[in-house]
Amino acid sequence: MSAFWAVLWKDLAIEWRSRDRFAAMAVFAALVVLVLYFAAPPSLDAAQNGHVPGLLWVAYLFAGVLGMNRAFAAELENDALSALALAPVDRGFLFLGKAAASFLILLVVQALAAVLFALAFSLNLWPVAPQLAAVAALGALGISCAGTLLAAIAVRTRYREVMLPLLLLPLLVPVLLGAVRATTALLTIGSLPWPAVQLLIVADGVYAIVSFLCFEYVLDE
Amino acid sequence: MKRWKQATAATLALLGTWWAWAVWNAPLDSVQGVIQKILYVHPPLAFAAYAGFIGTALAGALFLARGEERLDRFAAASAEVGVVFCTLMLVTGPIWAKGTWGKWWTWDPRLTVTLLLYLTYVAYLLLRGFTEGSERAARFAAVYGILGAALIPLNYYAIELFGSRALHPDNLQRGSLGEGMGLPFLLGVLATLAAFAFLLVRRFELGELRALRAERLAHAALREDA
Amino acid sequence: MNGAALRATGLAKRFGPLAALAPLDLELAPGETLAVLGPNGAGKSTLLRLLAGLMRPSAGAVEVSFPGAAHRGQAPINGASRQQRRAAVGLVAHSTFLTAQLTARENLVFAARLYGVPQPEARAAELIAAHELTAIAGRRAGELSRGMAQRVAIARALVHEPALLLLDEPFTGLDPRAAEKLAERLAAGRGSERACVLVTHELARAVQLATRAFVLVRGRARALDAGALASAAVLEAAYRAAVTALEQAP
Repeated sequence: MSAFWAVLWKDLAIEWRSRDRFAAMAVFAALVVLVLYFAAPPSLDAAQNGHVPGLLWVAYLFAGVLGMNRAFAAELENDALSALALAPVDRGFLFLGKAAASFLILLVVQALAAVLFALAFSLNLWPVAPQLAAVAALGALGISCAGTLLAAIAVRTRYREVMLPLLLLPLLVPVLLGAVRATTALLTIGSLPWPAVQLLIVADGVYAIVSFLCFEYVLDE
Repeated sequence: MKRWKQATAATLALLGTWWAWAVWNAPLDSVQGVIQKILYVHPPLAFAAYAGFIGTALAGALFLARGEERLDRFAAASAEVGVVFCTLMLVTGPIWAKGTWGKWWTWDPRLTVTLLLYLTYVAYLLLRGFTEGSERAARFAAVYGILGAALIPLNYYAIELFGSRALHPDNLQRGSLGEGMGLPFLLGVLATLAAFAFLLVRRFELGELRALRAERLAHAALREDA
Repeated sequence: MNGAALRATGLAKRFGPLAALAPLDLELAPGETLAVLGPNGAGKSTLLRLLAGLMRPSAGAVEVSFPGAAHRGQAPINGASRQQRRAAVGLVAHSTFLTAQLTARENLVFAARLYGVPQPEARAAELIAAHELTAIAGRRAGELSRGMAQRVAIARALVHEPALLLLDEPFTGLDPRAAEKLAERLAAGRGSERACVLVTHELARAVQLATRAFVLVRGRARALDAGALASAAVLEAAYRAAVTALEQAP
């Protein structure tokens, strides 16, 4: 377990010093919101705006994928990844440490993006802010778990920047479905639908367990 | 070995012919007309496509546990053959859809999950192709295969909950097929699964032969150096 | 284990057409330094990575025995599992395994935590003093010269006081003075219980530091007898003979 805290601390410390991963994700999320505003502008008729909550999740998803890639790019320098592989611990805990760091960074980016999104699409998110944060967190958990496992794989292939979204996006559909359904309900009727939340929890559980168990094999030479 | 192959090919040919004859003679569906006969092709293809991916995932998991290269070659073969059947399924599906519901594509649960499966297959094959180092590629692919397979039931659950109204016929009960359709359907399933197994074995053997050849070439190169 | 620090039986690695390492038996007692020589691509790095527990062998087993130091909170290790073995092994390779954005001190603390060493900060301070790293302890690892980074890497490899130290061509890229200092440090460590495997091209270093040697060619090993380490010239002759013999074997 000390390895978990060590890895978590290390990733957060590095991020705190340079903030480059966070900055890249935040700027990218803002740009996606901008592009979406022009590509799929909200109509004046509120009934036509059913698709708008989904757009927020497009921004979250792409910012998340960007962040995952960078989580492991740094480990390639000086072969720091092998340093992790050498540790005499259950590698699942190393996975948890990295996933937790990515999760926390993504949460901050999500908060920022939500503010920008509310401004751009003229939404009032305050009344449902706590529930929205909960849904965002559940989604971020899924993205971080699956993303950490697949980023560890993608970073050691050719075309690593392209490989991660290719591997990750088909597998994140359950998260996307649940999160968009929950967010839409929050913004239209103001309450959280249990089936959507249940789906998110189940999906997160599947990603976390499979990734924890398989990380052992991903770190081998 | 050759005799076995010939026997299988012969059985396959017989089965296929009998099946085609049965389909030709099957009664026309009163509502859908002749297009309904895709029923004898499309669901069996689906079984094969899913069998392919599950085979890949299982072989991958065993490979991680035991480290035998053979298992990895089997996983690769299963993925390559499976993706072919998945492609055929995605081609026949819209043909049937256009003929019955009038639209080429709907986001009906089964179609959507199959599309996701197809994308996962393709991602798996790309991962194999783009990883340097055959052992690393084998390990990475095995992990991805396991994750992808775990997602199959999850995707079904997700899309059933939130997908649009199912237009897909829900014909999983016995006896829901009309009179005279049972036999062609059964034959279709048998013939397709047999074809899948046959192709899988051939593709696996190809993998084994390639490995053998690579070994011989490498040894020959060594002898030249010495 | 009758006192042996390391025992490998039938250790082999193959995937695909050729074997990277043919089945190898190896026994190393505490305090011994084994030099592994051979041409490029012979499988030397593979051997070290197998011993370090970074790679899974295709066949064979490796056992490491280590009495442990109770006062440092280290349990005895007597095991065959890769995870257990990693607790008793330290690896120094061409890459430094350091996180560039952390300082040298922070890298050592991080390593101590990964290895479960109690009181990581104190241990890091101990290592900084012992390896003369005080001047650079506060500098980021990414800003260090190759020689300094290598020194930190060696301190890092020793953070958990491993029973077995593996060195993969550690003198590469070091200027003569830095290389000499490294050799001195390794020679000083010879009195201890630690066993050492040194992969190197530099025969003079092998003579200086090793108690035994073997040669690897195309994954196959041949031990050299003790007399081969008498001098660099003797070692060179023995080395060439071994390489020729191995290359011609079927």
